[in-house]
This record gives sequence, C-alpha cells and structure tokens, in this order.
Amino acid sequence: MIDLDTYRTNVRAWLRAADMPVVPRDLDKRFAVLREWQRTLFDAGWIGIAWSTESGGQGLTAQHQLVFSEELARAQAPQPIGLIGLDVVGPSIDEYGSEWQRRTLLPRLLSGEDIWCQGFSEPEAGSDLASLRTRARLEGDTFVVSGQKVWTSWAAQADWCALLARSDDGAPKHQGISYLLVDMKTPGITVRPLVQMTGDREFCEVFFDNVRVPADNLVGEIHAGWPIAIHTLGTERGVYTLRRRVDAEVALDDAVAELRQRAALPDGVPLSERFLATLGKATVALRALDAQTRRTVDRLSAGPTPEDSVDKLLLNGIEQTVYGCLADLLGPFRSTPTSRPLGLEAERWVHEHLYSRAASIYGGTSQIQRNIISQRLLGLPRG
Amino acid sequence: MLERGWSADLLRDAAAQGWFSLAVPEEVGGLGIALGELAPVFVALGEHLVPGPLLENVLLPALFADTAVGERLVATVERGGVLAMADPGISCAWSAEVGRVRLTDRGLSGSIGLVRFAAQADLLLVVADAPDGPHVCLVEPGAAGLFVEELDSADPGSRFARVTFDECPAGQPLAAGAAATELVGRLRAWARLLLACELAGIARHLLTITLDYVQQRKQFGRVIGSYQVVQHTLATMHASTSSLHNLCLSAAADAGDQVGRELEVTAAAAKAYASETARQVSEDALQMHGGIGFTAEHELHWYYKRALAARTWYGDERELELEIGRLLILGPDAVPPQNGGLRQPAGATS
Ligand SMILES: Cc1cc2nc3c(=O)[nH]c(=O)nc-3n(C[C@H](O)[C@H](O)[C@H](O)COP(=O)(O)OP(=O)(O)OC[C@H]3O[C@@H](n4cnc5c(N)ncnc54)[C@H](O)[C@@H]3O)c2cc1C
Repeated sequence: MIDLDTYRTNVRAWLRAADMPVVPRDLDKRFAVLREWQRTLFDAGWIGIAWSTESGGQGLTAQHQLVFSEELARAQAPQPIGLIGLDVVGPSIDEYGSEWQRRTLLPRLLSGEDIWCQGFSEPEAGSDLASLRTRARLEGDTFVVSGQKVWTSWAAQADWCALLARSDDGAPKHQGISYLLVDMKTPGITVRPLVQMTGDREFCEVFFDNVRVPADNLVGEIHAGWPIAIHTLGTERGVYTLRRRVDAEVALDDAVAELRQRAALPDGVPLSERFLATLGKATVALRALDAQTRRTVDRLSAGPTPEDSVDKLLLNGIEQTVYGCLADLLGPFRSTPTSRPLGLEAERWVHEHLYSRAASIYGGTSQIQRNIISQRLLGLPRG
Repeated sequence: MLERGWSADLLRDAAAQGWFSLAVPEEVGGLGIALGELAPVFVALGEHLVPGPLLENVLLPALFADTAVGERLVATVERGGVLAMADPGISCAWSAEVGRVRLTDRGLSGSIGLVRFAAQADLLLVVADAPDGPHVCLVEPGAAGLFVEELDSADPGSRFARVTFDECPAGQPLAAGAAATELVGRLRAWARLLLACELAGIARHLLTITLDYVQQRKQFGRVIGSYQVVQHTLATMHASTSSLHNLCLSAAADAGDQVGRELEVTAAAAKAYASETARQVSEDALQMHGGIGFTAEHELHWYYKRALAARTWYGDERELELEIGRLLILGPDAVPPQNGGLRQPAGATS
C-alpha cells in the first residue's frame, strides 16, 4: 500500500494542476458545480479513499483519507458535495449492504451522481431516536412506508435517503426498526425545506405517504436496523468529525491571511493585544483537537466505538470556540454583513459562527454524547 | 418587522403613547421620570424584542431636554421622528475601523462606519473631535457635505449606515470642551445601561420560553426537564438571568446620583455583565431546544441575533472590562467609595 508521504506528494501535485471550480452562492447552482467537482475528484481516485474497491473505493486507509482532506482544504479547494453519503450513511451501506446495493448504489454515491440524505430524526424522535414512528409494512416483496422525518439535511437535493422505519410495532423499540434505502423520486414523498438561522435551506421536513420501497432496498435483516443506525451515527461522529477539524483549521488560516493582508496596507493598523489573544485562543483549541483526532484516525478502521463520542464532544466545543473567536474579531461589524472590519469578511464569519452552534445538536447532542461517555465508556450507572 | 430592523408605524404609535416623553423633564412637557426608572421599560423592550431607535429616541431628549437643542429633540421624537447618534464611542477596540469625525473651521470631516438608523434619521447627533476636546452638535440629514450610505443589517433590532462628512457645516452646537467631555461620558454611560437592560430582557424571555419547552418536550418517555443536566442548565440560566436583572436595576438606580468616572464604571460593569450573560443564556436556550431552535421558523434566532448585536454595541465584555480597569487605575479619584450596593431598587428579584 502506498505510504502516506508519497500519497501526500501525489495529492499536492494533482491539486496544483487541477482546475478549481468557482462556487456560486445560489444553492442550486452551488450544488450543480460541486456535483461536477465531486465527479472530477472521483475520476481521479480521490473519493472513497478508505472504502473497499468492490464498492468503487480505493481500498486505502482512514489515514490516507485524512491526508487528502487536509490537502484539499489547504489548496482552498471546495469539499465534494455528497458528504452525507460519503461520511455518514455510505460507510454503513458498504459494511452491511447487499452485493447489489454496494455494486449499484455506492459507485454512484461516490461519483456524486446520486446525492444522499439521512432520514433518521422525527418530530417526536430526536435524542430518543429509537422511539421513531415512521412505519414500514412489508407487503409481499415491497415495504409500504408512511410517516414524517424532520431536520433531514439536503433532502430537497437528494436522490436517495437512508431511512429508519418501524417494521414491527409489537417488538421492544430497538428491535422493530428496519434500515431502508429509498429512492427520493418514488411517488408519495413530499419534501419541505426549512430555513435555518443561518438563512440557508439545508434541512427539510420529509413526508412519506404510502411510499412503496422494494424489499431489495432493505439493508441487513428486517427489524435489525438499529445496530446499523448506530454504525451510521458512529461514522458521523468519527469520519465527519475529522472533516470538520480540517474545516476549522482552514478557517483560522483564512482569517489570519485576511488579517495579515489588511495589516500590510499603508493605513493598516497593527492588531491590538486583544485580537492577538483571540487568535491565540483559537489556535490552542485547534492544537488540542489535532492531537485528539490523530488518535481517532488510528482507530477508525476498527469501526465506530463509544470513543467517537469523546471526539465529537471535543470537536463541538472546539469548533464553537474557534468560530466564536473569529466572529468576535468582527466586534460591532458583525451586524453589517458587507463590511470588512480588520480585513475580515463579516458575512462569512457570522455564517460560520451561527452554523457552529448546530454542531452540539446534530449527530446527537452534547448532552447525549456525555451520557454515552459516562455510561458506556466510564461504566457509570444510568441516571 | 424583524427582517427590516424597525417599523415607522411602531415608532409613531410609541410616540403617540408618550414613550419618548417619559424621561423628559416636566418643564419641557415630559413626565419627568428619572432615566434610571426606565430600566424596567428597557427590560420589557428586550423581552418583546422591540426593534427601532428606541434607545436614541428615549435617551437624547431625556439627557439634553434642558439644553439649546432640547426643543428640537423633543419635538422630533414626539411626532414619531427618528434620532440617530453618529458616535465613534460605540466601540473602543474597533475604533480604527469605526472612524471619527473632526471639526475644523471648515466644518465636519471624516466618517463613522456604523451609525444606527442614520438613513431613517430626522436629526443626527454628532460626536466630533475639535482641537479643544470633543464637540457635540446636531446636524440635519440634508446638510451639505453629509453622505449617508445604508448598509445591510443582520441585527433584527437595527438598521445601519455609514455616515461621511465632507466639510459639512457643524449644525447646531450642543456642547464643546470640558462640558462636551462630561456630556459624552454621560451619554455613553446611559446608552450602556439601557442596552444592558435590553439584554437582561432578552435573557429573561429566553429563560421563560426554555423553561416552558423543557416541561413539554418529551424524549425517552420523560419530559426533558426531568434530566439533571437539563435542570442544571436551566438553574444556571436562571441564576445568571436574575443576577443580571438585579444588576441592571441597581445600576440604573445608582446611576441617577452619579457623575463622571463613578457613573462610567457603574454603566460599563452592567453592560459587560449583560453582554456575557445574554450570549451565554441565548446559547443555552438554543441547546436546550435542540433542532427546533436552529430553524428560522422559531423565534429564538431573532433573540439570539439581537443579543449578539447588542452585546458588541458600546462594548462587549472584554472591551468594557479593559475600560473599567483603565478607569480604576487612571487618575487620583478614579472611583469614590462604594455605597450604591446598599440600596434595594424596586422590582429587584431574588
Ligand atoms: C443543522 C442540523 C442538521 C441536521 N441534519 C440531520 C439529518 O440530516 N438527518 C437526521 O436524521 N437528523 C438531522 N438533524 C437532527 C439532529 O440529529 C437532532 O436535532 C438531534 O438528534 C436532537 O434531537 P431534537 O432536535 O429532537 O432535540 P431533543 O432530543 O428534543 O433535545 C432537546 C434537549 O434535550 C436534551 N436531552 C434530550 N434527551 C436527554 C437526555 N436523556 N439526557 C440529557 N439531555 C437530554 C438534548 O441534549 C437537548 O438539549 C439535524 C439537526 C441540525 C440542527
């Protein structure tokens, strides 16, 4: 297997020569451009780096993936768009899916031809995910699905959904859930995008009204979807965490570059101690996260563990510290998105700051991560 | 209304109901209530997230009614007009970014990058630098050499503009020299106090709706308010919100008898505490709501955004902590002995 240093050199060389896309602000246009970009990355072998080759991946390790993510970010290149597929649900399909599912669905997931969403949360089932009520009734070789999902990120753009539904009402709540792969074009699905506090329309409500899903789209066994859901959540906490770490590091680098550029102008004011200390605080937080995630990478190939909750908890805190610090540098100018105080792009840093507040909610809240750590990792009794 | 940061109708209604005459002296036709007694009013404005130039419209007529410009100020707000303050003092740490205005014999020149409601204003109070210290004057928006460029606003309570002066005539003078130094100190102190009250109101409202929500929302077959971490979060929110409320009422009550540095420290301390507390309480409220708190369909985000904006206006906690330190160290009679804490203001909660 190719060693990491050589791999890094290859990635850099490729990125240097690559045609970087210009990312439009408009959501639909952005999606189209980034889908194209994901295709380019896929064709060059930079997508699904740690995935099996049968599923269209490269059969390398999580370390190789991290090297690529770091270099991609350093080159200021955008991320591929299908992150829910790549970092959240895809690895579970790779692990538990049938031959057919892996061979037909995963290459399209990797190439960006299909965008995926994660249909887990419901209005009454957030932290208590296992109490979900969306029903899947098996009729012959078809599941008939009815119910409602909420906070489903990118559902309006998605081609496929990894859906948790209750297939056995009588069973204890963790034992009656099935993990289904649903084509979003199936009749009976309605998607209503919701506006977030950032102004984006990322997450949606999704309604299922007698939606017919072929039994071939069941992942694993019927009623046995819960462990697969746990695998997906673990991947979200592990793999996605690594990606967000790189994002936060790049954000700090970018902010420093903006500040330095400004300081170089003839009327540039040297930064006051207050601002310098803010940069210092963000850096300290990121160093701690960096050290933490180096350990994560070594562990990732073994699959999700309660340790992922430690990473997620730390990442969320650090992410919020870093973006909080960067937004703090705007002072009163955070209220005027078009301004550039100290050379900083106010709109970007306010957006990142607001989005960082969701980090301690999605993928399991920080309170839930602490419950997992104390009970499953430290062996403390349930409250 | 919150998308736009203000409403002219609302301002006219408020004027018609006499909001802006409350703290105007009786001699000039007001109700003559002490400014400090308006603290609960500003708490309520925060609780209801009332947008618009309430701060400016209450403060300026109240503080300056007995000066040469008093009549114009009072008349403007009473007919529902808008007052704006072109004051570089909205920030110390960002002063280079905010800019300043200089007065010379050729008039006012310079610019202030952030002025609330300048594009809507009927009268603009300008805090300028003159060779002999600060100079405060009233300028009309149509004055020659005055340029107002409205900016996009992300604050649900405000509109903003950049105001540029290019040899603009200095309008009607309010104060100069030592008198202006005192006046500007008083203006900024009261702005801080009333903003602190507004932030206290925001915190109170968010505490109320969060307390309500955690008693209704069920997960794992129990209301989430039965989990100890949720209880502790709410307990912390309650403790900091009520201490902020108490601090604001006490500070406002004390401030009425204070001048100079003593007043400035009182106000800066209240605003520093409010800036920090309101942000923390907002973030806890969001966390306790889970996904629903992150949608723009829920009211929470408006309060959070207003809290973040008001937090930085006239100084966030770090800026003001530094300012307090400076006030304490500089000068012989920096802060007279404390006595304000002994009085119990009406309406304080325990
Ligand atoms: C930006 C964003 C994107 C998202 N994307 C997706 C997606 O693509 N797919 C998807 O399925 N979901 C998604 N979610 C939903 C997310 O997973 C849920 O919001 C999360 O699991 C919390 O559930 P809830 O919102 O119902 O909050 P609740 O579970 O109601 O929690 C409310 C509060 O109670 C606390 N709480 C609940 N139970 C306990 C307990 N036992 N002990 C202590 N405290 C407790 C929580 O920590 C929280 O503070 C997204 C959410 C956000 C904000």
